[in-house]
Amino acid sequence: MYGTALPTRPALHAEWIKIRSLRGTVGALTAILVATAGIQALSAAAGTVEDGSLGEDPLFAAFFGINFGQIAAIAFGASAFAAEFHNGGLRVSLTSVPNRTRFYLSKMAVVAALALAVGLAAGLASFTAGQALGGASAPGWDTPGAGRAVVGSGLYLMVMALFAAGLTAVLRSGTLVLGLLIPLILIVSFVIGGLVGGPAQYLPDRAGQMVLRSVEHGALGPWTGLGVSALWALAALAAGWLAVRHRDA
Amino acid sequence: MNTIQMRALTKEYGAKTAVDHLTFDVLPGRVTGFLGPNGAGKSTTLRLLLGLDRATSGTATVGGLRYTDLEQPLLRVGALLDAHAAHGSRTARSHLRALAAANRIPARRVEEVLERTGIAPAADRRIKTYSLGMRQRLGIAAALLGDPGVILLDEPANGLDPEGIIWIRELMRGLAAEGRTVLVSSHLMSETAAFADHLLILGRGRLLADTPTAAFIEERSTPRVRLRTSEPGRLRAALAEAGLEAVEGSGHWTVEGVRAERIGALAAREGIPVLELADEQVSLEQAYLDLTAVHAEFTTAR
Repeated sequence: MYGTALPTRPALHAEWIKIRSLRGTVGALTAILVATAGIQALSAAAGTVEDGSLGEDPLFAAFFGINFGQIAAIAFGASAFAAEFHNGGLRVSLTSVPNRTRFYLSKMAVVAALALAVGLAAGLASFTAGQALGGASAPGWDTPGAGRAVVGSGLYLMVMALFAAGLTAVLRSGTLVLGLLIPLILIVSFVIGGLVGGPAQYLPDRAGQMVLRSVEHGALGPWTGLGVSALWALAALAAGWLAVRHRDA
Repeated sequence: MNTIQMRALTKEYGAKTAVDHLTFDVLPGRVTGFLGPNGAGKSTTLRLLLGLDRATSGTATVGGLRYTDLEQPLLRVGALLDAHAAHGSRTARSHLRALAAANRIPARRVEEVLERTGIAPAADRRIKTYSLGMRQRLGIAAALLGDPGVILLDEPANGLDPEGIIWIRELMRGLAAEGRTVLVSSHLMSETAAFADHLLILGRGRLLADTPTAAFIEERSTPRVRLRTSEPGRLRAALAEAGLEAVEGSGHWTVEGVRAERIGALAAREGIPVLELADEQVSLEQAYLDLTAVHAEFTTAR
């Protein structure tokens, strides 16, 4: 019974066409790579990554660009779903795929796959750029946790994109979601700064970024931290699914 | 297979009943006009049929199946609900390609409907640059995409120029002649009577009439004749003898409750010169307004 609501190839194909045919959404997707790797390369080249300037965790510093890439990931997730609320576009989508669960899962699957692919590329580019430009002090592949952090950065960016997409399905506005999440991530995280532990470590961005660290930082380990982020995203996705399923379109 | 069936279909929004126990069939092979003033529940009924809104009670089916149970729905039902529903930043071609892909419709079919609706030259322009008439044509292209047996059009003539209106009328007549079910909503009686074989009239969510267009005209409109004569006195006397009364307007006379053939025969028999003689069908729109106004009064008086 539930198998009939799973994504099908035609539904996935349609969602792929819908995402790639919107310049803004494609722009946000590209920005994940450009912002993450670009900022990392710039900061490394500018020499900000010098001996002793890396703080207590050089591996985490090697993914400094993620702070910007995650904004792009959120914008990508939000805009991919927000397109459905533009002038009642959801009605058109649901007349072509009337099974709402299938429609929803198909869209989220395409958002997840694209964000993961670009996120992995961004993590890898960011790490190698840091190595190439940052000199001997930059962490290399032999640094403990380096491989996990590269893979983790892709997963983390995917989780943030899905979190934003799920919230957009609930709130029916991409602008509203960006207005909520960007201040949360920029202001709250920067105000709290390097504080260790406390309730703030369970916020979606701070918990997820544990996967980028080589040194323990608070109560959450790298994978449990990413797991906490994934739970946030799952909650948003579930709420979005209920909203799409039960509301009149 | 292509019959639309509504059975006690009801939709309530809080205390307001938008659609009130609608029961009717829409049959293939003819154009059915779905009439009613704005807010009568026409669009809600179409959304309920497509599973976009959830019915409070009752059912709406196509060929015995609910729309949401159709595997490749665009192959069965094509709908134009709102010309603005396409995302303005996409091109028309991408918009149609996405709809086609979800229903396994080949990409060449997209090119065919672009040609058929006359928007092929603008297919790679973003939809936000389209005029209302072009968006309407894009909506019709989307409705035709799956070559469906059932076509639903909500106010398709909106924004079309006179040439476009003739085009859409001929298109609808052609689709019905091919044996398809064509349901077209409108709030204008005179416009709809020009192409619909059958009428469904809605007022405040209730079905007020389900009748062939010809029968509605026959029953509801009282005939009237407009004429001019050089000898009004004689004609008046002759009409009075036949139990008819001529009323003088500005330069012409009108006679209620009679058709032109009878007046013509009468004038010929009496040898009265007639300069102008014509049937007037003004009461059709009036009959429709009377029908729907009764219902409007009920609710405004409440």
